[in-house]
Amino acid sequence: MSYIDELVAALGKEKVLVDPAEKFVYGADWSPRTSDEFCPPDVVVLPRTTKDVQNIVKVAFAHEVPVTAGGGLTGMLGGAIALYGGIYIDTTTMNSVVEIDPKNQTIRVQAGATLQEVNDAVKPYDLWLPHQPESKWVSTVGSAIACDNDSTFGVRYGKILNCLLSAEIVTGTGEVLELGHRKAHFTSSGYKLKDLLAGSEGTLGIITEATLKLEPVPAVRRVDMLVFPRMGAAVDYLSRLLKAGLSIEAAHINCKRRLQFYTHSYRQKFGKDPEIPAWAEALLAIAFSGDQEVVDSNRDYALKIAKEFEAQLVEEREIVDAWWASKYTLDFEPFKQKWPDSQKQKKFGAADPGVPVGRLEEFYHKFIDVAEKHELEVIGMNAYLEHPNSIGFSLSCAVFVDYRNADEVRRFREFHDELSKLAIAFEGTMSTFMSDSSQKAPYLELEHGASLEYMKRIKRIFDPKGILNPGKKFVREARR
Amino acid sequence: MSGLEDFKDELETCFGTSCGFCERGCPVYQNLKVKTLCMKGRNRTMLGLLQGKFEISPAVVQAAFECTLCGNCDRWCSLKNTEHTQAFREYLLKHGVEPMKEHSSLAASLRNYGNPWFQPRSARNRWTKGLNIPKATPGKADVLFFAGCTSAVTKQLTKSLIASAKLLQSAGVEFVTLGQDEPCCGSTLQRIGQTEAFETMASDNIAKLESLGTKKVITPCPGCYITLKKSAEKHGSKLKVVHVSQEIAHLVKEGKLVVKKSSERMTYHDPCHLGRLGGVFDEPRTIVEAIGTLVEMPNNRYESRCCGAGAGLQSAFPKLSRELAAKRVAEAKSTGATTLVTSCPFCETQLRTVPGIKVSNLMELLFDNVLENEKKG
Repeated sequence: MSYIDELVAALGKEKVLVDPAEKFVYGADWSPRTSDEFCPPDVVVLPRTTKDVQNIVKVAFAHEVPVTAGGGLTGMLGGAIALYGGIYIDTTTMNSVVEIDPKNQTIRVQAGATLQEVNDAVKPYDLWLPHQPESKWVSTVGSAIACDNDSTFGVRYGKILNCLLSAEIVTGTGEVLELGHRKAHFTSSGYKLKDLLAGSEGTLGIITEATLKLEPVPAVRRVDMLVFPRMGAAVDYLSRLLKAGLSIEAAHINCKRRLQFYTHSYRQKFGKDPEIPAWAEALLAIAFSGDQEVVDSNRDYALKIAKEFEAQLVEEREIVDAWWASKYTLDFEPFKQKWPDSQKQKKFGAADPGVPVGRLEEFYHKFIDVAEKHELEVIGMNAYLEHPNSIGFSLSCAVFVDYRNADEVRRFREFHDELSKLAIAFEGTMSTFMSDSSQKAPYLELEHGASLEYMKRIKRIFDPKGILNPGKKFVREARR
Repeated sequence: MSGLEDFKDELETCFGTSCGFCERGCPVYQNLKVKTLCMKGRNRTMLGLLQGKFEISPAVVQAAFECTLCGNCDRWCSLKNTEHTQAFREYLLKHGVEPMKEHSSLAASLRNYGNPWFQPRSARNRWTKGLNIPKATPGKADVLFFAGCTSAVTKQLTKSLIASAKLLQSAGVEFVTLGQDEPCCGSTLQRIGQTEAFETMASDNIAKLESLGTKKVITPCPGCYITLKKSAEKHGSKLKVVHVSQEIAHLVKEGKLVVKKSSERMTYHDPCHLGRLGGVFDEPRTIVEAIGTLVEMPNNRYESRCCGAGAGLQSAFPKLSRELAAKRVAEAKSTGATTLVTSCPFCETQLRTVPGIKVSNLMELLFDNVLENEKKG
């Protein structure tokens, strides 16, 4: 009996897709690639329960077949692409709410629920899940954990790991494990195995359920934008705001070029690019939220301090609203959504390094140099503050990539690798929101040194046959 | 070059983008959760097919036809996704795929009877009995009431036509009809991928209306509304096409129809072809608000969810179609409304299959609530 026959026997025919057309659509994510680089799995399965996932992994384990789990397939580095074929688990079929506990501000969901579905479910309780990437309509809870993606509100709430209390996984042997601390917000007991899941890319286990911490929905939110003569000034300003004790909900430093990418709805409305002062090199988008009085006082104080940093408030609200629509509300005019409009010729491609806060501006200039060296059109840099109440950046160093041009896609990958290595040289890290995937795998030793071997050993404990998402994080010799 | 190949650039843009924002509002995908059945996956399927990555298979056919063409994907995109899907259907039919037997049946009826429902042409005129509506003749057809196949030949739906006509007459609007000579607008053919037959029909229809000297068409059918409107635009005709709710809302606002208002909670279901694809949202609501208290469903206007009847889904995939109707009715009930109002014969019929809420046609509801001394006919 073939492993696909065993999957059909275990799950039922309707949960197993083998038609080439059906498999094909699961062969690409949002990462820059040519349309010749679709990498379909050998079979797609649509589980509904943890038991289904367990059965799938047991079949894979017995036959030593690769298993790759995915959600919305909006990853920007191919993390959920089944590089070595085998079984693709579409987790989006597992999107049920298991429990909402309003009193304890938690939700238990199946891992295929999108972040938006979580928020739709808890909205009646005046609660929300503040982990909010731009892909929230499609990004699932499981993939947000496994990819460790970014969040608009990181400076107040952190990323998904700050919301994750517990998770159920199916390991590479088919064992079901619960990792975490139930509904307690933190623990000092044992090793924090749950934390290993953030950015694990499905290499340790398939996440099937998660318990997430929710937050009360703030009554009011005010978003503003300030321009600065240089990026470093914006960093210093943010540092000063935190020192002052202000509670910032969102903070993003954009280089001047990046603004254009985030103001699609402004161009739709006015037929032109937004204008900011010629001297401005950096823009800071900043949000305060809470009760009106608190928001007002925080904002007033922030604007008062701004003068000390040569900052100027952007008075044209349409610029701020357009940026916020792109970043958070996704409230685009019907039939004129930003993404396809902005990707008609070339698509968004990014490296996601992290560097020490004092070297942001220096790294920005290096990013421009590297992009130009590889003859790529620069979109710009966005530095997201993603660590609660401190200055910790995720950097999105973005360029346009002509995905119809194999040579340009190759140059993008070289650009990505060069920036990743450069970030390590800057005493930083290769990745802050896209994880390693196969792209960064060759450089993991550079990033982690001798500890890489310990990671490999951990991987072997969870996945002794190496069937879970092979080729991701750790280089696998032969590529299909 | 086939129609689908014309869209190759858009298919590549979708591949290049891959945002998947179309998934959230897609009624079919949300029910079945197979990625070939959401627009992102369907676009990829078309692209792969054009690239020769795989052959036409049952899954490819399913990807093309298991869709209501409701346009929710278009709302969250900037690509012409519903047009891709129609071209996809046409492509498959041209490449040897047999039309689905249910769709063949619709097309055969259209050829033989001029309507998709196997009703004799004479049935089309039954609803006008006793209404004293003049027949359109050249030069005497400034305003033409275009009833549409479905309402005209379906006994349960003719009441809405009668109500529409009487309301227009009460307000002093002079109009004519084509009686049993009224043709099909071609919407059904277009949606099931029979593009050539549709193009011929659309062209003939516009020529016919122009030859009569028609300036304005009023229709109660959203499918006819959007099809005739786009056909007129495509053929460079100055013919104005409006949905009856637009005409009537105007008359209510002008005080030409005086309405008895109640406190009943009512919710309004936007038909896809009238709302999202036709841009008519406010006028039906003006009428509902004149009659009762409008409470909106969570998904309304551009975000309205399809009832599941459209684009051949009801005939070819009845189970899924029923499930979509049940979801929409559940959403209506969640508002606390006691009446679910709509303004499309397909939506009306479809939503009535689900028990639990009174489903009313907008025109019938208005007619029942126009003060007695305003009524004529």
